[in-house]
Amino acid sequence: MIPPPPPGARPPFRRPLGVVAGIATTVAVATALVIALLLLLEARHLPGPGFLLDPPSRLADRAGIGPALAGSLWLTLLTGLIALPVGVGTALYLVEYAPPTRTARATLAVLTNLAGVPSIVYGMAGLALFVRGLGLGPSILAGALTLSAMAIPIVIADSRAALLSLPRGLREAAFALGATRWQVVRHQLLPSAAPRILAGCRRALLRTMGAAAPLLVIGPVSFITFAPTSPADPLAALPTRIFAWSARPQAGFLALAAGASLALVLLSALLTAAIGALAPRTASHGDGPEAVRRTASGPG
Amino acid sequence: MSMLGPAASVLIAESLTVRFGRRIALSDVTLAIPEGRVVSVIGPPGAGKTTLLRSFNRMNELLPRASTTGAARFRGIDLHDARVDPVDLRRRIGMVLAETSLFPGSVFDNVAFGLRAQGVEEDLHGRAEEALTRVGLWTVGAEILDAHALDLPAGDQRRLCMARTLALEPVVLLLDEPTGHLDPVSAAAIESLIHALREDCTVVVATCDPALAGRISDLTAHLDGGGLMEYGPTRELFTNPRNSRTEAYLTGRAR
Repeated sequence: MIPPPPPGARPPFRRPLGVVAGIATTVAVATALVIALLLLLEARHLPGPGFLLDPPSRLADRAGIGPALAGSLWLTLLTGLIALPVGVGTALYLVEYAPPTRTARATLAVLTNLAGVPSIVYGMAGLALFVRGLGLGPSILAGALTLSAMAIPIVIADSRAALLSLPRGLREAAFALGATRWQVVRHQLLPSAAPRILAGCRRALLRTMGAAAPLLVIGPVSFITFAPTSPADPLAALPTRIFAWSARPQAGFLALAAGASLALVLLSALLTAAIGALAPRTASHGDGPEAVRRTASGPG
Repeated sequence: MSMLGPAASVLIAESLTVRFGRRIALSDVTLAIPEGRVVSVIGPPGAGKTTLLRSFNRMNELLPRASTTGAARFRGIDLHDARVDPVDLRRRIGMVLAETSLFPGSVFDNVAFGLRAQGVEEDLHGRAEEALTRVGLWTVGAEILDAHALDLPAGDQRRLCMARTLALEPVVLLLDEPTGHLDPVSAAAIESLIHALREDCTVVVATCDPALAGRISDLTAHLDGGGLMEYGPTRELFTNPRNSRTEAYLTGRAR
């Protein structure tokens, strides 16, 4: 019943696109596998399980990432505690509360640009503001504040996009039922936007967790031999430790750098899993593409 | 329906003009809506029907760059008086939006949201049952409460929208395109619900369907281009329209 295509007509452009997509996927997966393989190959020469807890040492076979691992945990925890509430709160204010004035537009433009500022520039700002200005020195706290400054614009941008993507009817229907602005935000908008807001928080924390440049600017890679137990302790972190070891010529230190890199990757995976566990089951009934379609538009 | 006794006006618009930026959505509209009646506002899309409805529960101010001049009154009170709390107002003047916009969650969640927003925590199930019974959604019994709202068929979704507003026991009910995009059976169900509602409250319906207005309303207002063309008892307006544009709209020769 379907009429044949006119002579000389081009066949629909379907298959080549699929091939390109397939190649792209293969390249991406292969790259990740090669990186993992190289790290594992290097890490074969690690001194032993004590590596995870031992302090760094001049001797490669006695060195470990204990202080750096503890430092990275501290930094991520503090950055999360500072940046996530400030970032999500600012996004809520900008989208739901701020009157659409010129000041609000200017604030938004500044925040958008901040999200694109290179991380090393945040290091310079942190050095001037927190290390010297507030006299915090090259401490865990100064590092966490610097990383928070870097994370906040990302959290704001992603949370704002999440709130703006909600269907307008959701907001209006809640207002029409006599809800106050806070009730609308708390009971309808935040739960509906939560998955995307959390994705933004994860993106921001992963980026700061792996950042070496800003930490290198605010303080030297310390050779501390104890794990930090408070935010006032000297700064130590996995990325800067990797940087320090990778600069050493001896083969043993390259294995240490690879081991620390693997630890950083595992820490990132743990963070992703933890945030995934936090995500509320908003579409409690039938997750998956069906639920996504429904929240996106809804019939009628 | 034609026996219109004297009734006090529950809603009044006085030279009401609403602008969004430079665009004038509603222009110098004056009309009174009597208590306990069903009033239809008809007109083509963009005529200002929704804007008029939203003036009465101050929903326009949620939109960017909205400004209102003239007055809208609820039982004599100027709605834009500084002492009027829009949240409180929306609890008494209920509105069902044109788009079906249910909250993701169960049917119960949808009905309970407005009640909880008002601080009602007691007998939520009883109130939900009553509201769902009124709109004819209780036929399957209590299991409807746990159904996911967005899994319901389109007609039932619209009824749920009505139910969650009715649960708040509003004095006035503003219905924006209550039968739009619905199949004839669901539309008829909504229509008979509107008939039943006149017992309890004043109903203002915005619709672009003159036939619906003719069937359900005591009074009909015709808006076009933001201005009020004609307003009067439905039978008079339909049988003997004085405004030529109203006549054109009713006979399908619009513009």
